[in-house]
Order: sequence, then structure tokens, then C-alpha cells
Amino acid sequence: MSTTPAQPERPLPTPTRDSQPYWDGMREGRFMLQHCAACGKVRHYPRPACPHCHSMESKWEAAPLGGKIHTWTVCHHPFNFFFKQAAPYIVALVDMEAGVRVNAPLRGIAEKDLEIGARVRLAFEPVTKDVTLPYFVAG
Amino acid sequence: MVHALREKAAISGVGETAYTRGTTKSGLALQLEASLKAIDDAGLSPREIDGVIPYFPGGGIAEDFIANLGLPDLTLSLFVPMGGATCVSAIQSAAMAVATGVAKNVLISVGRTGYSGARVSTRLQQFPQFALAAEFEAPIGMFAPAQLYAQGARRHMELYGTTPRHFAEVAVVTRQHAILNGNVVMNKPLTVEEHHASRMISDPFRLFDCSLESDGGAAVIVSAADRARDLKKPLVTIMGVAEGHPESPASIAQRPDLLDFGLVKAAKRGYDMAGLGPKDIDVAEIYDCFTFTVLRQLEILGFCKTGEGGPFVMDGRIALGGELPVNTHGGLLSQGHVVGLNHVIELTRQLRREAGKAQVKDAEVGLVTGYGDMGDGSLAILRRAA
Repeated sequence: MSTTPAQPERPLPTPTRDSQPYWDGMREGRFMLQHCAACGKVRHYPRPACPHCHSMESKWEAAPLGGKIHTWTVCHHPFNFFFKQAAPYIVALVDMEAGVRVNAPLRGIAEKDLEIGARVRLAFEPVTKDVTLPYFVAG
Repeated sequence: MVHALREKAAISGVGETAYTRGTTKSGLALQLEASLKAIDDAGLSPREIDGVIPYFPGGGIAEDFIANLGLPDLTLSLFVPMGGATCVSAIQSAAMAVATGVAKNVLISVGRTGYSGARVSTRLQQFPQFALAAEFEAPIGMFAPAQLYAQGARRHMELYGTTPRHFAEVAVVTRQHAILNGNVVMNKPLTVEEHHASRMISDPFRLFDCSLESDGGAAVIVSAADRARDLKKPLVTIMGVAEGHPESPASIAQRPDLLDFGLVKAAKRGYDMAGLGPKDIDVAEIYDCFTFTVLRQLEILGFCKTGEGGPFVMDGRIALGGELPVNTHGGLLSQGHVVGLNHVIELTRQLRREAGKAQVKDAEVGLVTGYGDMGDGSLAILRRAA
């Protein structure tokens, strides 16, 4: 593995046994969500047990990419050197059609045009061979 | 029926180091220095401490207290990993221990090198409570509480019309109080204009909406009330104490209502245990990691309705001499960040009438909150004993 000391490292997720299918889905360009195999309810972020019926069996299904803005922040202070160049950047918290939320950068919409309920669409950005991260665009 | 813990425990000693930006001391050294002051304030010998609840992670563990203070027989060693809700929640654990006889004098302590040591974005990634944020939110650029809590503040503004002017009022009043204290990091007056001109950290939070990264230590001793009566200082009893955990406790993003803090549950339990309500409170020390966090907790505590926290803090209402003096020591925003144990210390001093220039006249009953991790909450209601 080569190192690039001049460039700060991007913080990357460390998938767990519970969350691996979500990250595999991202890499394949699909928004995969965990559903209880017994009662069918969706849950996010991934975890071993269903909080509704306590079944520990689950299945993964691709979910629609549409959603509506629940709220947002505009990050000016980067808190991490990697994000220094990107700042200021908008991070939108979005109510997805599947009934969970996703927090991800929102691109292509001006700060003054942000409003609760605005429609957005999840997109995929490969950042390494293994990792793809979500972002939002107007939708 | 009266709650089994009501008035069974007391804050018997308080101590703190100088609050600074920059120190050569370790977190443990700061914690021990504050602990020795609290033990002395109570009129106890270090050898009489038989329970310890150090802030975790960061700072000392039980072994360090035994080794440094020569504790002969520790009967209780606990961690309460609730971030900023830890210190007030630890009072509940300590009260349980002294009321049942498991321990006689429990030391709760914090030592922090938030300025000279690791900063918040590094520190928090090591908390197990932040594992989900580290996996799902750090990679997309959300690291720090200022970012993670900003989305809730923005939603409050959009839904209820809360404004930066309201946030500024909390910052300005807190600074006025800090200047009266003496042992504070920020000792120059702050104006609304200076607040508005300060750089944006994570919208809607500007620099002066955020608590300090500072160095310092703080400690309090909880003793059985019947024993504390015979100690050095006026008796300050624990009337009510409670903790609460919100839905989706490790992820604000997935919480159905972003403005649902654990304090919603804790406040009801704490008031019920004390047999008291918001109207009985003479002074409130509210966990102020951010200005907005104060507004929202005042709503949850029943001082005003949800959505009215902004207008509530205006017109001197939360200043000394106002209807409800808040953060009379300068809080985390202006005094120093020792995870809110300084709030417990200040409330104890207010009720002992030791608060100097910031003394709330005739303070009898006061309230202190904790808020931490992704929204855990805690509350203690203390009373000066007759």
C-alpha cells in the first residue's frame, strides 16, 4: 500500500458484521436496508435485534432513493483536516421514503434555498475501491 | 408515597482547580487536586472516601484514587458513561450507594485537558457511545457535537422561529455571570454584536454558541444526609435526582423527534421525586455545551412551552436579578468545560450562600442538569436544609 503524506486521510467507515451488507450495497450503487425477518419492520442503523419483536433474524432489501429534507447544518469549521478544502459544506438529514433517515452531504443546492420538506435524491460516490459514500442531490 | 431516596443524600464537599487554557498537569493530576479540595471542603479525611465515580473515558480510574489518596477500603467503583449527562447522573448512583449503606462518602470527579490535550473531534471518536456516529457520520463530514447538534437547533429555528439573537442572549448573560466569578477562562464582556460577528462553526452555531475547550478539574462528595449534617458546611440535600435516555440514544439522526432529549423523562422523575416543580426553583445551572441546548432544556424543564425557549431567555429573565437566574458561574460557555461538574459545584455554593458576587438572594432550591452523548439527560434538585 502506498502512502500519500501530503494529503490528509479521509475518515472511512469500519463496517461491522451487522453493517457489512449496507456498505456492500453502497459499493454496488444500492441503498440496502435491514428489515426484521419476523415482523418486517425496517431498522437503521444496522443492529442485531429487532427492537419491536426482538427477532434476531433479518433480511436486506434495496430501498428507494428519494426523500425529503428533515433539517440540515452547514459545516464551516472542518474539525478534520480532510474536510478543510470542502468547507463550507451542507449536510442534510433526510427522511427517506423507506422510513429511515440518512445524513449526507447535499450538493447542487444553495444554502438560501434549503427548506424542510424539499425533495432530494440519494446518490453514490465511490471514494476507495471498497468504500462508497452517500450524498444528496436535488430530486 | 415519598421516594426512597428523597433527602437521604447530600452534597457534602465541592472543589475545583483553576480553569485555564493551557496546563502542564495531567488530567489525573487535575482530578486529584480538585478531589483533595472537595474532601477538605467537606471536612473529611481522604481515608474516609469509600466510593469513587470518576468521569470516563478520560482521567483516572479507581486504582489511581486508591494509589494516590491512600484509600484503605473502597467499597464502590463505578463509571457512568453518559458524556455530559455523566456528572449529574453520577449523583443518582452516589445517592443510592450512601442511602443504602454501600458507601459513606462517594467522590465524583473530572479531570480534563480539553485545551492542552486531545480536542473534541479526536476525543469523542474513542467513546463507545459514538461508534455509530464514527461509522456512519464521520465519513460524510460530521465529527463533532457542534455539527451533530446543529441540525436539531436548525430544526427548532425553522419550526418555532428561534433566532441567533436568542442564542446570543444566552452567551452574553452567561459571560456577565462568569465575570463575577473570578475563576473563569473568559473574563471579558461579550456583546450581542460580537456574538453575531464571531465565525460560523456549524450553522446555526457560531463560535460564541459553543462551549470552551479548556483545562481543569472538579470534584464533589456525596454523603449520607444524616452524616453530612455534622460536617463542616451547611447541609445541601438531594431532593430529586434522575437520568433519562432518549429513543435512538446513539444516533440523533435516527431519533423520531430530534428535540426529544433524555431530560424529557428525567425531568418528570426528578420533579416527582423532589415533590417540587419549576415554580419552586430559585436558580438553575443548565448544561450549556451550546447556547441552543440551554433554550431547549428550559422548555423541557417546564419553565416555558416547547418553541418558546428563545423569547423566554430575553429581557434579563435568566440573568442575576431576573425571574430565573441561569448558569450563575459562567457555565461551559464561559467558565470552563469540566463536563458540568462545575454546575453542581455552583449550585451547591448558591444554596450554601457562598456564591459571592453572583449570589442569588435567599436561594433555597435549585436545579442542575446534564446533557450528553447524543442526548442523554440528567437532573438533580437540591435544597438548602433548614
